[in-house]
Amino acid sequence: MPKTKLPAVVSTFCLCFVFWLLLTWSFTAQEMIAGAVVSLAVALFTSHFFIHEDAFWLLRPAKLAALISYAFVFLAELVKANVDVAGRCFAGCKDVNPGIVKVPVDLKGDYAEDMLANSITLTPGTITLDIAEQDGKTWYYIHWIDVAETDREKAGELIKGRLEKEIRRIWE
Amino acid sequence: MRIELLLFSVAFAFLALILLLRLAKGPTAADRMVAGDSMDVLVCCAMVLYSLYSGRGIYLDIAIICALLGIVDTMLVGRYLEKGRWFEK
Amino acid sequence: MRIVIDILIAVGFIFALAGAKGVIQMPDAFCRMQASTCITTLGILGVALGGALYAFFVLGSVGTGVKVLLLGLLILTINPIGAHSIAKGAYKSGVRPEKEMEIDDYGRDFHD
Repeated sequence: MPKTKLPAVVSTFCLCFVFWLLLTWSFTAQEMIAGAVVSLAVALFTSHFFIHEDAFWLLRPAKLAALISYAFVFLAELVKANVDVAGRCFAGCKDVNPGIVKVPVDLKGDYAEDMLANSITLTPGTITLDIAEQDGKTWYYIHWIDVAETDREKAGELIKGRLEKEIRRIWE
Repeated sequence: MRIELLLFSVAFAFLALILLLRLAKGPTAADRMVAGDSMDVLVCCAMVLYSLYSGRGIYLDIAIICALLGIVDTMLVGRYLEKGRWFEK
Repeated sequence: MRIVIDILIAVGFIFALAGAKGVIQMPDAFCRMQASTCITTLGILGVALGGALYAFFVLGSVGTGVKVLLLGLLILTINPIGAHSIAKGAYKSGVRPEKEMEIDDYGRDFHD
């Protein structure tokens, strides 16, 4: 088991406490003390699971701005893909052309790869099946409901769109 | 008290009932799990709307717990289908 | 404001209806997964936004609105994990589409 570090514990504690306040939405002293105790216990036990890098990453203004701009770009992509898939469903579900494509991804770090895979899965029409590393590059296997392109690079451009550049800006 | 919220809540619950058809019919376990996952989210939507209609906050807490448990059992069945890797060790 | 709330919830309901229709009628398991993603993204987002606006402006209770928004955000961030896990499990357990797939890189690289 890796050793727990102080900045990781502090940032996890802050996250848990903010969520406690938002969920209870009462600011009496008793509730806040109980929330602090529970958040501290959770932070001590789980901080080494999900903080491996810079713990106070969110407090840097450039990163926060990049995250917010990513949220808007992702929302636009989400609405576009949703309208596409909903149109296919209402048109009788016959207009599908499924396939699994292999797409190269050029990102550094576990968090960035995880974020891109989850974004691709959340967009209707594409589901990430697996992540593999072969000869120094990272590959995603993506199930695509309408295969428009079988060449890997061009299919990657079509699926990832602007998301990869935005994520690279967030995680450098 | 607004009647539209109640109507939408009943409509979401009715969609969840329709998905029960796929849950009963689906040829493989994956089909059933997809239907169950979607039903879970639809029941969450219905509970949120009914909570706002009736003004009782307890339904919101139940909706949050329902969403969390739904994700946990979806992940568990997915892992089990993948040759039961979590259960052999 | 009431009309805006109704429109938001109706948009959520329309996408949920499309997703449910897709889950019932799509030809194979993977396409059903794609249709069910429709429910868990814009369906829940529309309901959460409309419900939060209703709680803020009609009920006048901020705590309820924040809780509804958090519920929407929670489902939106946590659902791809389940979808990914069940897609991989379905492929590994031998589910294949009825129609011949256009391209199948995963089966070519990981056949067993």
